Amino acid sequence: MTTQPEGREDRRYHIDSMLMRESLLDKDVQRSTEVPVFRMLPETHVLKIGGRSIIDEGREATYPVVEAIAQCLETKKLIIGTGGGARSRHVFSIGIDLGLPTGALAELAQADALGNAHMIGTLLSPYGVVAIPPAIFGHLLPLFIRSAPGVIFTGVPPYSLWEHPPAIGRIPPHGSDAGSFLLAECFGSKDFTLIKDVDGLYTRDPKQDASAAFIPEISVNDLRKRDFETLPFTA
Amino acid sequence: MQNELLSELGQYLVEGSLTDVNVLQQTGQEPPLPILPDANVLKVGGQSFIDRGRAAVFPLIDEIVENLGRHDMIIGTGGGSRARHAYSVGLDLGLPTGVLSVLGTFVSMQNARMLHFLLAKHGIPFIEPIQFPQLPLYLAERGAVIFFGMPPYTFWHENPDIGRIPPHRTDTGAYLVSEVYGARSMIFVKDEEGLYTADPKKDRGAKFIKEISVAELSALDLRDVVVERPVLDMMQNAEHRRSIRVINGLVKGNLTRALDGEDVETLIYAD
Repeated sequence: MTTQPEGREDRRYHIDSMLMRESLLDKDVQRSTEVPVFRMLPETHVLKIGGRSIIDEGREATYPVVEAIAQCLETKKLIIGTGGGARSRHVFSIGIDLGLPTGALAELAQADALGNAHMIGTLLSPYGVVAIPPAIFGHLLPLFIRSAPGVIFTGVPPYSLWEHPPAIGRIPPHGSDAGSFLLAECFGSKDFTLIKDVDGLYTRDPKQDASAAFIPEISVNDLRKRDFETLPFTA
Repeated sequence: MQNELLSELGQYLVEGSLTDVNVLQQTGQEPPLPILPDANVLKVGGQSFIDRGRAAVFPLIDEIVENLGRHDMIIGTGGGSRARHAYSVGLDLGLPTGVLSVLGTFVSMQNARMLHFLLAKHGIPFIEPIQFPQLPLYLAERGAVIFFGMPPYTFWHENPDIGRIPPHRTDTGAYLVSEVYGARSMIFVKDEEGLYTADPKKDRGAKFIKEISVAELSALDLRDVVVERPVLDMMQNAEHRRSIRVINGLVKGNLTRALDGEDVETLIYAD
């Protein structure tokens, strides 16, 4: 149903809808869209396996993680993201030296996380768990997760050339931690777990400072207030 | 052991933490290279422009054609009325922000295809994000390309602070193209002279703003603004594209003047 002359007093063709003729930038209009959200995959768990902290360490760190995941796959549906690790750091340093902007670096980083996704996919292939190419992953995820106990994706989100310019420096702000989290949020997964090589959050980097204190639980607000110099995930 | 394959920055990055502010500062010391410094990015509004049909679109197409060979143009499109319809049905169904952004992408793609059909006889291609590596060739050969303005975040879209509508839509997507390529200009083609203190379609007392900084604009705390707010935030972190222009494309000649670098209508800049 379209609205126009008389409804064409503003000379635009509209379709009748709640948002017709409204500016989507109007704060009151935005507030009116606060509505409950449908959960697509509430029984799934999203994991992210660290690139540098787990996969780059080779067999010693990766095999036990793969075994633990294999055990979970017997009873749970897992959506597994991977980070890019040392190769992404390396390509960032070369790219920055060549004068490439953040969006170009974000495009390059996809390849490393995808490589790691295929490594984990190889090790989990006996369980029917494989790496899915990013182009079809989002749209087909509900089908894949119904057919297999788990799926693997590149944790780096598809921001590529459209990556946001960061406040400091040039590293793409949406890495594999953010990408895996955003996916878990959109699909309404039960929980989101980062698999790293430290027990979790510390007051300082525990690898460099033995006096760093472990933090078992903290709110996002408190975390921001304490303004730690480093975090075990990207902010 | 000194690894000579790694520069000093390489060592910082491979060994340091990417959440360490000191490491991050090291990565911003060299200015980035402008990749396409002669290109201009245009964004043609959906609701404000294409939804007006032939009366608005044909004269603009003529003006784009007149500028072929004079200026390189990367042309993005907005969504408009059908995106609003899809968002309102989607909201009613309870769909999450990421899915709404997929729906918005489809509409801005329709608008891009429509402009593409009108420009096809001039050899102007429509490209999807996956074809952006070919963009420099098309630009060198034909002087223009069309793309859909939505950034390809799809299911990975961040939730907005208020409500459920994807905050990064076609203004943001087009702006980020101008920033990443270090383009010469970012021109938003709308149906208003630029920025007003309120929506001039609803408030006759709305005052026109000719030029304003992002900081001054956020201090005004307007209920409504002419471009998506994330564009303003991103401009402050930008390395290349620190100003944008908003023009009324319904007025013949405005686009050409803006492409020629004239001070036409509203300029918004980061300090």
